Amino acid sequence: MNGSDLDAGHLPPRSRGVIALLEENCTVCMLCARECPDWCIYIESHKQTVLAPDAGRPRVRNVLDRFAIDFSLCMYCGICIEVCPYDALFWSPEFGYPETAIAGLTHERDRLRDWMQTVPPPPAHDPGAPPPREAQAASPGAGPAG
Amino acid sequence: MVAVDLPLPRRPGETEEAVAVPAWVRVFDAGLACCAVEVSAALRRYASKLPGEAAVNVLVVAGTVTDKLAPLVQAAYRDLPGPRRVLSFGACSNSGGPYWDSYCVTKGADQLIPVDVYVPGCPPRPEALIHGLRLLLTGAGDRP
Amino acid sequence: MTGAQLLAGAARHLPSARCAAEEGTVTMEVPREDWLTALTFARDTAGCDFFDWLTAVDEQDHGLAVVVHLYSIEDQQHLFVRTLVPPDDPVLPTATPLFRGAAWAERETHEMFGVVFEGHPDLVPLLLPQGFEGHPLRKDFPLAARATQDWPGAREPGERAASARSRRRLVPPGVPEGWPPA
Repeated sequence: MNGSDLDAGHLPPRSRGVIALLEENCTVCMLCARECPDWCIYIESHKQTVLAPDAGRPRVRNVLDRFAIDFSLCMYCGICIEVCPYDALFWSPEFGYPETAIAGLTHERDRLRDWMQTVPPPPAHDPGAPPPREAQAASPGAGPAG
Repeated sequence: MVAVDLPLPRRPGETEEAVAVPAWVRVFDAGLACCAVEVSAALRRYASKLPGEAAVNVLVVAGTVTDKLAPLVQAAYRDLPGPRRVLSFGACSNSGGPYWDSYCVTKGADQLIPVDVYVPGCPPRPEALIHGLRLLLTGAGDRP
Repeated sequence: MTGAQLLAGAARHLPSARCAAEEGTVTMEVPREDWLTALTFARDTAGCDFFDWLTAVDEQDHGLAVVVHLYSIEDQQHLFVRTLVPPDDPVLPTATPLFRGAAWAERETHEMFGVVFEGHPDLVPLLLPQGFEGHPLRKDFPLAARATQDWPGAREPGERAASARSRRRLVPPGVPEGWPPA
């Protein structure tokens, strides 16, 4: 028996273990909560008026109060991660987080941020793949990489 | 439902004293749906012959619990000799999972029997069962 | 029989049938009184001796459509036979004398849609628990859990709590219009 299989380090890229939240990227657009088929993402927020020092007029931004994912309901489909327009949600391969109480399977903001430390860097593009859209926008007319 | 004896594997570098609990469990796999495949994979990979008495009997409920099957899950728990624990494996058994809205699904095995450990996943990896069993033996109470 | 032969045979033996053919598949729609005749033709004349499944489709005001999928292993020809039963009288003769395998399919169709199969040897529920009321797969049987549970996506961005004063009332996908009733 191989004890190292108990850890997530050896798993292939894009393995779906748990979902991590990078709160700085979240604009509270609510798309993930709306698209989740299981209704397991709970978001609470409020609006805040911000006057930037050099700005001409005050702006209103959404402030996240609560972001929780109930992993007892989650079916790990990844729709929330795919739909997020601001790359605030990420897959992490970690899978060993059982609980003795079911309420413990609802991970709040702080725990979802802790999972960010386990998110691996994105894997390299396959050979022959078209370049990422960001690179194409930066230098239009560039040929495929490699 | 088959009883399989399981020694709990250790992480590299983990000593006997680190997992200072009975390291053998007898697992009764109530495999109801797809999660049963993952539990079977775990039992196949990690099970071996028990050199003595298992310290605890664990009922692993793996898969969607439909309303029609609910009495059988209760009977399985009732007929399990002690000391016994229940491990809920997968989203369907934890809370109804993706089928929580169905007209015929029980929203979690804990609606029927007391559950000691919940293993999240859809389905969880086979190794997640091992993590759940380790938590069960280190964190569970002393119910008979 | 091939698809073309099937269509020709149906025109001769089942004048009341409306047929349509696609790649490898023929769909035959018959009135209720010709149901057993059509199935007998399919099995004995057209060679579609493999019974795959039987189910129903809730066409609401039009009634309940009962569909059977048959297959001819020798000719590799699929055949769908459809009929429509009215909503206030959902009765159809059973296909079990022709296809033994239809027994459980008709039990499931009966408990899920309420179609009564006359002559069925044992028309009791198959999958639903004892004491279950209603026919779940009918369109007017709503998924109450989704309608009554608070949808986390009902809030607008930046809204503290879902308020009735929202400019547009967001309805979660899958919940029918006007549900839950006031």
